[in-house]
Amino acid sequence: MTALTFTLKQRPAQRVDLSPLVCQKLAGLSPTDIAALELDSGKRKIRVDELFTIAGYDTQQIVIKNSYAKLDFIGKELTEGEIRIEGDVGSYLGLGMKSGTITVNGNAGLFAACEMKKGFVQINGNTGDFLGAALPGNKMGMKGGTVLVKGNAGERVGDHMRRGVILIEGNAGDYCGSRMTAGTIAVMGKTGRYTGFAMRRGTLLLWNKPELPATFNDCGSHTLAFLPMLFASFRSFDSKFADPAAVFNRVRRYGGDMAEMGRGEVLVRL
Amino acid sequence: MLIRLKGGKVYDPAQALDGEIRDIYFRDSVIVDKPEAGAMIDADYDIAGCVVMAGAIDIHSHIAGGNVNTARLLLPEQHRNFVARKLGHRFSTSRWSATETGYRYARMGYTTVVEPAILPINALDAHLQMADIPIIDTAGLAILGNDDYLLRLMRSGASQSQINDYVAWTLHSTRCLGLKVINAGGANAFKSNARSFDLDDVVPEYGVSSRHILQTLQRAACEVEIPHPVHVHCNNLGVPGNVDTALATMEAAQGLPMHLAHIQFYGYGNEGDRGFSSAAAKLIDGFKKHPNITMDVGQVLFGQTVTISGDVIAQYSRRNDASPNKWIAWDAECEGSGGVVPYRYKETSFVNSLQWLIGLEIFLLAEDPWRLFFTTDHPNGAPFTMYPYLIRLLMDRDYRLQCLEQLNQEAVAMSLLKDLDKEFSLYDIAVMTRTAAARLLGLPDRGHLRPGAVADIAVYREQADKAAMFADAELLFKNGRLAVQNGAVVERCNGTAQVVQPLFDHRIERDLQNYYDRFYNLGLANFTVGDVDAGQADSERFRAHACGRPYLAENAR
Repeated sequence: MTALTFTLKQRPAQRVDLSPLVCQKLAGLSPTDIAALELDSGKRKIRVDELFTIAGYDTQQIVIKNSYAKLDFIGKELTEGEIRIEGDVGSYLGLGMKSGTITVNGNAGLFAACEMKKGFVQINGNTGDFLGAALPGNKMGMKGGTVLVKGNAGERVGDHMRRGVILIEGNAGDYCGSRMTAGTIAVMGKTGRYTGFAMRRGTLLLWNKPELPATFNDCGSHTLAFLPMLFASFRSFDSKFADPAAVFNRVRRYGGDMAEMGRGEVLVRL
Repeated sequence: MLIRLKGGKVYDPAQALDGEIRDIYFRDSVIVDKPEAGAMIDADYDIAGCVVMAGAIDIHSHIAGGNVNTARLLLPEQHRNFVARKLGHRFSTSRWSATETGYRYARMGYTTVVEPAILPINALDAHLQMADIPIIDTAGLAILGNDDYLLRLMRSGASQSQINDYVAWTLHSTRCLGLKVINAGGANAFKSNARSFDLDDVVPEYGVSSRHILQTLQRAACEVEIPHPVHVHCNNLGVPGNVDTALATMEAAQGLPMHLAHIQFYGYGNEGDRGFSSAAAKLIDGFKKHPNITMDVGQVLFGQTVTISGDVIAQYSRRNDASPNKWIAWDAECEGSGGVVPYRYKETSFVNSLQWLIGLEIFLLAEDPWRLFFTTDHPNGAPFTMYPYLIRLLMDRDYRLQCLEQLNQEAVAMSLLKDLDKEFSLYDIAVMTRTAAARLLGLPDRGHLRPGAVADIAVYREQADKAAMFADAELLFKNGRLAVQNGAVVERCNGTAQVVQPLFDHRIERDLQNYYDRFYNLGLANFTVGDVDAGQADSERFRAHACGRPYLAENAR
């Protein structure tokens, strides 16, 4: 069966909520049913076929073509299957996603993979602020799964993150790993100011020396046997993280944030 | 414009009408006598089979002000869970918006709601929020008793007349209807690290006891003739065994009128294996011995809510019970403090079940709807939107017993609720939520259907299921205009704010000016409420009511 493909006809001026177009909600629907679904856009409701040309049948494999930065909530609470997006996506990509795979061949907006529980998200471009974070007011961000960003990430990566892995090949903005409860964030590029701000537990693995708050303690240099094992777990990804040349085990360790519980660690490659 | 409501069953305790079938006439915004034969009736509503009451009055519901906004900020998920996209209302997609507050109250037949905790420095904010609430009339109670200025006056042995001037000036400058005292002195003692504060505890640095502050303010309220008795949130809220505090506070009232708020939270004994038991019977015994005391219940109902209070000691002490797990406690330097703790009341919980039972025991034991009022202390015990369900609990014994089965049985075994047979009548409900409530607040123009009253009239379709009946009014007239029809709002009109303006000696303004200049980082003029840009002129927005002796139930009946 061919992938169910939505090709955007024209770009609406208002943002569009694409949360109905996820594999588990479309399973069993006929193409006419899918065409008749309504999407919220500003204060209007738009039929799916008004916005997209629809082709293919396989609801376990969704492709969105010609996507642009105002298509929000793609893959919200996805529980199965695969979504591939050609172009940019708006905010809340994979919000609360429970399983499955999302691939974006473009940039993502704010709150990508926010409160994600399981599954795999790959963003081949850049991503906005609050990657893998908690929604405003909530206290638990990403709880599991893996996010791979090939470009740069915005501020507050992994804010309130609780479990799971975020891999960033480019740079991360300010407050990377802020208020983390647990989990792992690896950044190959640079990080901004206030890295690990109010971190409770969790690990930041950095390739470059960060600008840390004064409430982090230098714990000296270490050779950590677990790092090669961690890298081994990235081996299957299409990423620089899978490259055997990227593997290292020698780091400088910083513990913090002592203004919080202080059991987080920032590991910087030596 | 003359309107007739024809053939409804009228419940109006002010005229001792208990379900009599009678026509109600009102011209423009005022209820009038039956006009002479041949008078032209502009609109006629046939409401046979319906119950007619005055618009309901909520005497204690936190609908505006600093703490309410803080709770909104703390719980954005409440907004997200509520994106119903009812287009055309301002901010209607968010929970707890002013619009939603007004609409939901109106749909239940409410026309006047009192915000019972306005910190004087937050008065302007509270009034702007209240002005944003459509349809219903509002009023505020100004909080005193933890403020540095009053405690300084008392420490320096100021005369009662000076304190009276300060109280009267506060009501003027905050445009409030009455005086609220929250755990007198407690919020101030909290700043000196006190984590519990009893009636006879002394505020550090000031040397005045909670009892002394309370009695001083009560006397002031009587002497400047605020019709609503001083509205008291006692010490030790929610602490097992605090029934003694409530009884001691009744005693401390020395026979003068006093209103004790959300008394369910004070009906707690410390007996039993868990050190927590119902003391409703003991509380009501004391209540019956003190005819000068009025109370409202503050019933707990199950579900998610958020507790907001100026009693920072109580809020701080339950921060670890926050659900979801986040809370805010704040401090307004010279004025007081407060806290916001989200909470979910659960039927499986022993404590929550017992709280639910104690509230209903108080309702059913008190036997006096002229002195005991209907509240959930919104949102502390439950959101006001659950009122219809509470009315059903009061009016329907079988339903009550049914609900008991869902509760924590250990708590049920300790309660006498299953043996209480009383069922409230529609007349009792009309007393409690209309006539007595209006008199308690000193609002003679409402709460009844006598000629001359404001035409705030609620019409309900009579149904066996009282929850359904009171959830959606068939018709609601606000100021004589049809605001709700068949449970849906048909006109968004503006309400007014009710105030009293007791007299005071203007010399106190100079002292206050100096005090604010010295201790506040903004001038006095920034805090007082005047020329509020609320979309209505001040003269239209604020409705002044006469001063007079505080409410005593024995004179009201």
